[in-house]
Amino acid sequence: MRFMSKKKYALLCLCLTITTALSSAQSAPAASNDIIIRNAIVMTATRGTIPNGSVWIHDGKIQAVGETVNAPPGPKVTFIDAAGKYLTPGIIDSHSHIALNDDVNEATSPVTPQMMMKDAFDYQDKAIYRALAGGVTTSLLLHGSANMIGGQAVVIKHKYGATRDEMLFPNAPRSIKFASGENPKRVYGGRDQLPSTRMGNFAVQRQALVEAQDYMREWDSYHEKVKRNDKDSKDATPPKRDLKLEALADVLRGKLMVQIHIYRADEMLTEIAMAKEFGYKIRAFHHALEAYKVADQLAANNIAIATFSDWWGYKQEAWDAIPWNAVIAMRKGVRVAIKSDSEDFNRRLNQEAAKAIRYGGATEEEALKMITINPAWIVGVDDRVGSIEVGKDADLVIWDGYPLSNDGVPEKVLIDGEIYFDRQQQGLGTTHYKEGE
Amino acid sequence: MKNQFSVLGSQFSAIKSVWSGRPRPLPLILILVLLLLLILSTPAFTQSQPIALKNAKLLTVTHGVIENGTVVMQGGKITAVGAAASVTIPANAQQIDATGMTIYPGLIDSETALGLTEIGAENMTNDLVEMSDEIMPHMHTAEAFHAESALIPVARINGITNAIVAPASSDTLPGQDSFIQLAGSNATEMLLLRDNAMPLNFTGDERRNRGGFEKQKFPATRMGLAAQLRQAFIDAQDYKAKLTDYGRKKADAAQNKKPEPLAPKRDLKSEALLPYLEGKKTIVLAAESPSDLQTAVSLANEFKLKFVLNHIAHSQPVLDYVASLKVPVIVGPIYEAPKDDERYDAVYSLPAQLHKRGVKIVFASYDAHNVRNLPYQAGFATAFGLPYDEALKAITLNAAEIWGVADQLGSLDIGKTANVVVANGDPLDVKTDVKQVFIQGQSVPMTDRQTVLRDEYK
Repeated sequence: MRFMSKKKYALLCLCLTITTALSSAQSAPAASNDIIIRNAIVMTATRGTIPNGSVWIHDGKIQAVGETVNAPPGPKVTFIDAAGKYLTPGIIDSHSHIALNDDVNEATSPVTPQMMMKDAFDYQDKAIYRALAGGVTTSLLLHGSANMIGGQAVVIKHKYGATRDEMLFPNAPRSIKFASGENPKRVYGGRDQLPSTRMGNFAVQRQALVEAQDYMREWDSYHEKVKRNDKDSKDATPPKRDLKLEALADVLRGKLMVQIHIYRADEMLTEIAMAKEFGYKIRAFHHALEAYKVADQLAANNIAIATFSDWWGYKQEAWDAIPWNAVIAMRKGVRVAIKSDSEDFNRRLNQEAAKAIRYGGATEEEALKMITINPAWIVGVDDRVGSIEVGKDADLVIWDGYPLSNDGVPEKVLIDGEIYFDRQQQGLGTTHYKEGE
Repeated sequence: MKNQFSVLGSQFSAIKSVWSGRPRPLPLILILVLLLLLILSTPAFTQSQPIALKNAKLLTVTHGVIENGTVVMQGGKITAVGAAASVTIPANAQQIDATGMTIYPGLIDSETALGLTEIGAENMTNDLVEMSDEIMPHMHTAEAFHAESALIPVARINGITNAIVAPASSDTLPGQDSFIQLAGSNATEMLLLRDNAMPLNFTGDERRNRGGFEKQKFPATRMGLAAQLRQAFIDAQDYKAKLTDYGRKKADAAQNKKPEPLAPKRDLKSEALLPYLEGKKTIVLAAESPSDLQTAVSLANEFKLKFVLNHIAHSQPVLDYVASLKVPVIVGPIYEAPKDDERYDAVYSLPAQLHKRGVKIVFASYDAHNVRNLPYQAGFATAFGLPYDEALKAITLNAAEIWGVADQLGSLDIGKTANVVVANGDPLDVKTDVKQVFIQGQSVPMTDRQTVLRDEYK
């Protein structure tokens, strides 16, 4: 299957579905799109750990999980023996800027919600492969933090060697990046432009949202006119489309999840107030190094955080960062993800999550959640990935040692039931990408 | 886990806070304790009472693991190490039950910017490197070292007790290193060695070639960097010749009652280079690619410099050559990204590849805020083939040897400085919690500005 072309594979899947349906009475012919990983220590992230378990993958989805699974009969099932090895969900990085061809920030205006990160997506970037080798299967590629309101994110699966479109997470919800604090201030203040202060930052944000409200009202009234279907309706002319305001109107309509780059606790409170003022929800605060100071308010507003484990001091607004941030926030009811924001850390997010065990005493499962189901929620794909549960995408990592450590490393990484990385292989260890291609 | 650390650890911090952190309002009880301390206090770095850490797993580094061992610290030194049953504990010793704990020597970070930076993006808090010239051997990190840096307690409560402080690598000769102890009441106490080594960087990043042709200035190429370095060392050789000549003339004048000759004008740059030209001190030679590495080595050989290698993150094709040089390597950081055509683990596996070829390796954080994470780099390297014992040596004994302090540091051995770490597990694992650090036999307060914030908000 590994070397089968996509088209053939899809065709085969279709055929098998039919065959299976037709032959349910007799023993179903073995499906080559069935994989069973057995004898693994299965860390499900949401339903505990099975000390000696199996996972049955069918058509790229998890079909069964348990101490034993009812293996489909026939010789064509691929078995992966994982005796003594650990199996976890694929890691999800909820804050990444890799594979954007260095086009992270459109830093020419502090409000650029019409930017689509997908337009810069470089599916051949080796950083995708290096993260894959560290167990990352899904990443949220965000606009940078130069602008108060940046662009719209793209969600990718790390299927290195697949085509561009195959790497895009299908039907992923839309996210938009907001920022606050030092970065917008520095970028625009450095050019003697607005904003150069935190007051300026929030004024720019509020102004943009006010304009979006007006724009939304114009469109709403147009649609209403058309809908009334009376004598005015046919004269109704649609307002001029403005991509920037259209995107912001989608924020106000709750169609775009708001992901905010933020450090200081006071700014978190201001952003929460701003969201209430304009009636949108904040999905997650990113970096959020002072979340531990206002964790109650974050929990009350169902705002997650995507934070670093122990990074600090690289700028003034990171001065109060503490490595207990993740666990203090978690204990107060905040959904916590550990993210990379880096081509370096996205290769070893498991080690970063393990630090939550040391700093604050997270349990193994709590730590694992910080790099799987919790970031999946931030990205809005927690119904599809982020845990080992029946029906979810078979995005899985087989580790040759305990993953919540710094000496357990991925041996195989599967996405949608296909192996994309195999440490045992020579060369890069990639199964779909061939050097020189 | 049955031991006294949960209790005693905090007692140590309260009673024996010899090294204060940032000034903060103190609770009344602490003020009373401090007043008492004032009466009873002995000067810093004098361990007043022997301490015996009993029943722990000892990672001695030099003589293996002792599963149930005892360490005795007295007068700032280790005075006994061995199986619990065989060690005689002095009658007046404070005895601490460390059952379930792992004890190992203080860790040594072979390149940091500790004391040279506080907040990365705030330039007024940075004294990392002079960029006005590329040849700056007369810069002494010891003279910028900020002993009260809030970063130092953050590193030391994770068991890092000693470190090299090096200037940032933007110049070919950015200045001279210091070797510090991460505790002391002032910079003088903490700077164990000043000007103990000098980086010589040759990675290409030292070129002044940013911003296109019109903005380039000399040296914009590797030829420029090398020519400039050669000139600097030749100038220093000339300077030495002048000094020698002057010495001879002066002696001659004194002997023959002639008027004293004019002393050569002092040249601080050349003066700083002399001990290195004379092979008395170590050059830390940094390169990354095979070609830069070989150019740098030939330059060093041209002037008979004594050197250790640094970085060589992308020199995998010439590791046999590296081994043939018979010099230690400060390797990494192993988190450096591989080149695009390299396998994902090309740099992760470098320590193992070097060790396999008999090269002595040490690790460095190359950082200031994240010095505390030094041991995890060593632990990670074990996942890519470096034997565990070698990984631990690379942040203890090997480092002590390279920096010429192996008679005092780097292992649990009688007579060495009592820099000792007590932790609840494997020092190389991220999950391990350090319970108590001793520097010169004194318990270090297990607090930093981060623990203070934690306790305020948890």
